[in-house]
Amino acid sequence: METHLGNFEEVILLITGILGEEAYAFKIADEVEIQTGRTTSIGAVHSTLNRLENKGFLTSQFGKPTVERGGRRKRIYTITAYGRRILAASRDFKLSLWKQYPDIIIDSLIYGRLSIKGI
Amino acid sequence: MADLKPPRFAQKVLLSFLREEISEEVQGDLEELFFSNLEKSTPARARLNYWYQVLNYLRPFAIKKFKSTFSNYLTMYKHDIKIGWRNLTKQKMYSAIKIGGLGMGIAACFLIALYLKEELSYDQSYPDASRIYRIVGRATTDGVIEKWVSFPAPMAKAMLKDFPEIEISARLMPNSLFPGAGSNEIRPSDNKENTYEEGFTYADGELLNMLQLPIIYGDKRNALSEPNTMVISKSKANKYFPGQNPVGKIMFLNNDKSRPWKISAVIQDPPSTSHLQYNFYLTLSGIEWWQGEQSSWDADNYVDYILLRPGTDVALFKKKLTTDIGYNYYLPTMLKGGDKNAEKELATFSLHLQPVGDIHLKSYDIKDGLTHGDIRFVLMFAAIACFILVIACINFINLSTAKSANRAREIGLKKVAGASRNVLITQFLTESLLFSFFSFILGILLAWILLPYFNLVSARSLVIPWSAWWLAPGLLVSAVIIGLAAGLYPSIYLSSFMPIQVLKGELSRGSKNSILRNGLVIFQFTASIILIISTVVIYDQMHFILNKKLGYNKEQVILVQGANTLNKEVKNFKNELLKNPHVINVSVSDYLPVTGTKRNGNTFWEESKRNSESGVTGQFWRVDNDYIKTLGMKIIQGRDFNSSMPSDSQAVIINQTLANKLNLKDPVGKRIFNGGTYEVIGVVEDFNFESLRDNINGLCMQLGNSSSIISVKVNSADMQKTIAYITSVWKTFSPNQTIRYTFLDESYARMYADVKRLVSIITGFAILAIIIACLGLLGLSSFIAEQRTKEIGVRKVMGAGIGTITGLMSKDFVMLVGIAFAIASPVAYWAMNKWLQDFAFHINIGWWVFALGGFVAVSIALITVSFQSIKAALMDPVKSLRKE
Repeated sequence: METHLGNFEEVILLITGILGEEAYAFKIADEVEIQTGRTTSIGAVHSTLNRLENKGFLTSQFGKPTVERGGRRKRIYTITAYGRRILAASRDFKLSLWKQYPDIIIDSLIYGRLSIKGI
Repeated sequence: MADLKPPRFAQKVLLSFLREEISEEVQGDLEELFFSNLEKSTPARARLNYWYQVLNYLRPFAIKKFKSTFSNYLTMYKHDIKIGWRNLTKQKMYSAIKIGGLGMGIAACFLIALYLKEELSYDQSYPDASRIYRIVGRATTDGVIEKWVSFPAPMAKAMLKDFPEIEISARLMPNSLFPGAGSNEIRPSDNKENTYEEGFTYADGELLNMLQLPIIYGDKRNALSEPNTMVISKSKANKYFPGQNPVGKIMFLNNDKSRPWKISAVIQDPPSTSHLQYNFYLTLSGIEWWQGEQSSWDADNYVDYILLRPGTDVALFKKKLTTDIGYNYYLPTMLKGGDKNAEKELATFSLHLQPVGDIHLKSYDIKDGLTHGDIRFVLMFAAIACFILVIACINFINLSTAKSANRAREIGLKKVAGASRNVLITQFLTESLLFSFFSFILGILLAWILLPYFNLVSARSLVIPWSAWWLAPGLLVSAVIIGLAAGLYPSIYLSSFMPIQVLKGELSRGSKNSILRNGLVIFQFTASIILIISTVVIYDQMHFILNKKLGYNKEQVILVQGANTLNKEVKNFKNELLKNPHVINVSVSDYLPVTGTKRNGNTFWEESKRNSESGVTGQFWRVDNDYIKTLGMKIIQGRDFNSSMPSDSQAVIINQTLANKLNLKDPVGKRIFNGGTYEVIGVVEDFNFESLRDNINGLCMQLGNSSSIISVKVNSADMQKTIAYITSVWKTFSPNQTIRYTFLDESYARMYADVKRLVSIITGFAILAIIIACLGLLGLSSFIAEQRTKEIGVRKVMGAGIGTITGLMSKDFVMLVGIAFAIASPVAYWAMNKWLQDFAFHINIGWWVFALGGFVAVSIALITVSFQSIKAALMDPVKSLRKE
């Protein structure tokens, strides 16, 4: 099984975790737009969710039907333990990278004043 | 808000491709988004967004798997093609017959399609073609509908003045009655040699503007606007002024230096698909043929074309035009001329607008002096093309089903192994497509080879448009359609076999379907026999035309053309010719009893009745003293013209028809009126001076001058020598003009070139139909012979002779052809009778025509079948019976 985690996949995985019980395709897509400020389509999100499920980072089951969905059930996604581990690994990996970064550049990055000439 | 729903079509689209397992959640998500969008923005945006979301679901994970067994299908197709190919090569004769027959049908169809395409493309290319019309007049006289296209000189201008609907009106005057139009001897002013040219017409400059003929040199606007200017075509410009711009150059017609013609423009040569086949347009500007001619409504000599403004209601305009022209212009003129029945005559008169694109095909009942196509022939050819194709397809079907026994085991086994009917149908359709493609390749090849002959026969110059974008896809689609059409029935039939019966060997060996198969053979032979009979009838009519007693003698008459340039020398020329002992008579007259020579239209009255009765129409010819003698006509009452009687200048000779029409019991000595009064001195026996399609019309002959054609009656075994003599005399009289001569009998035959062409075409079709029918019969008979191998073996063992067995095999087929004959005869009789009605003078279809048709069909069928039946009869019974 492929275990690579793409950038968009990581965002989706995180948001799925954030939304908890409310993590279904429409809500996730909505949240992605709110959090990233970029428009996306449900189809794109659904496709990613599907991929994450295939990789074993997510599981899903049907939730309750609601009126605004015309009485249709939603598919609620939940992060698996494996998914959480991958997220943690991804975070740790990035943190370890950050730790190797020279401090001055970290400051410049944070305050946005990096001068290329200075390096 | 509550009644707003997501777009239904978008939902449908979504469901059409979405995997079922996820359809519920996806629909739910999209709907939720839709309603949340509704709260945030307009319904239109929400809907648009819904569509956007739907289309965004076109992702591999969400799309249904369309038949996961696709790759199996591919293998099956490969298998089908392989089996098809094996079948094709295994049964070489069958395959050759199938492909050859269909290929021939396709070749014929392809050629006909090319021909039809050309016929239908006439006059379609003018930029404003849809708004250009030719004026057609129509009236009923004595219950006969007459249509014509010649109108008075001032009519074009009058129409333009009276009707704002008309943007441009223009006149054309191609009538060779007027010097200049038709053909002329022509030369540039700095050249001495005259050259004979055809394709002259008078026209208004507006005509060129209306049709927007492409101009190469000169000014489009002013072309033909000045008197004595002419426009010539590019090829003629290149001929007389190679490599120069000829605008401003002068040309002389018939040596007439008093009237030089200045070239004002050069236009592109007319395309072959134009009804205006003119190379020289002479201006009508400044033309007045006689005093007051241009403002007179008495004579009809001009063809009128109009360009209507966009959006004009043609039907309404036509009515307005008829009323205006009829009552404001024609009626006053007719009343002034003393016509008491004018109002009554006008009641049946109407003007019509014929779209310029219809002129070529839809003018067969209009006398306009053009040679055009005939929509009826176009339809007939289209029908024949379909017919041939259907016959070829039937052959194909016939042979495929006939061979069913050979395939039965294969089908049975496949079915046992689990093949569904659809799979088998696909297999047989694939096979027939394979055949169809091979047939198309063969057909196009054949068409390509035969095209030159086809052009010769149909008098066309067709080319296969290899580079046209539509050709390849068109052929491909046709190949598929024909492959499917021809393969559908066999595939359904073959795939319907019951495996258990087939494998037990119980398949009724084709006998169950013999009615159908026999029906197909009957159909083919019916078509062939119809064509054979038609060929014979048309040939017979042609023979009749060429050998009919016409009332004059067309043999051994030489027509010297272009003699008008001799002017006053013509008399000396005539006398010089008569010095040769082989020259019997010489006559000078442009009016000859073959079409294409001079004609006019006149009305005659008996003098005493000119104010009380309506006149009789007829021709009024100017001839000379020797005319009747030269052409061998017969005076049945009175006498011929006599040069020694000066009073003969006011005398006329009329034909029997005119005498009858005028109700003259004893015509000689009676006086008839036509503008002037003439005394009848003789009656000539009716002779056919028009095509045999028409009845003989009234004719009146007067001494007069019309000097373009000199008819020379000779009596010579050595025609070459006599012609050489005439040529030498001509040279001394007219050194700068090459002699041009034709023979009267050839001119006569040329009148029926279309009939001759029809003979060749129908013969071609008949041969084609017979070949295709024979191929079918050959295949079928060999199949039957194969089926009856055992029976024949047993019969031979029991002592049957070769003759008995051959007869046994042939009997059935002869009966089929007999039935075909019974069906074909009445159809052919009906069709040919209808065709013959076109001719006022025609043969009666005799019984022998049918006997011949039947005999030919039966003999051909017998010969075809005998190949197989004799082979079957000669077979060694030991071999055929050993199989068991």
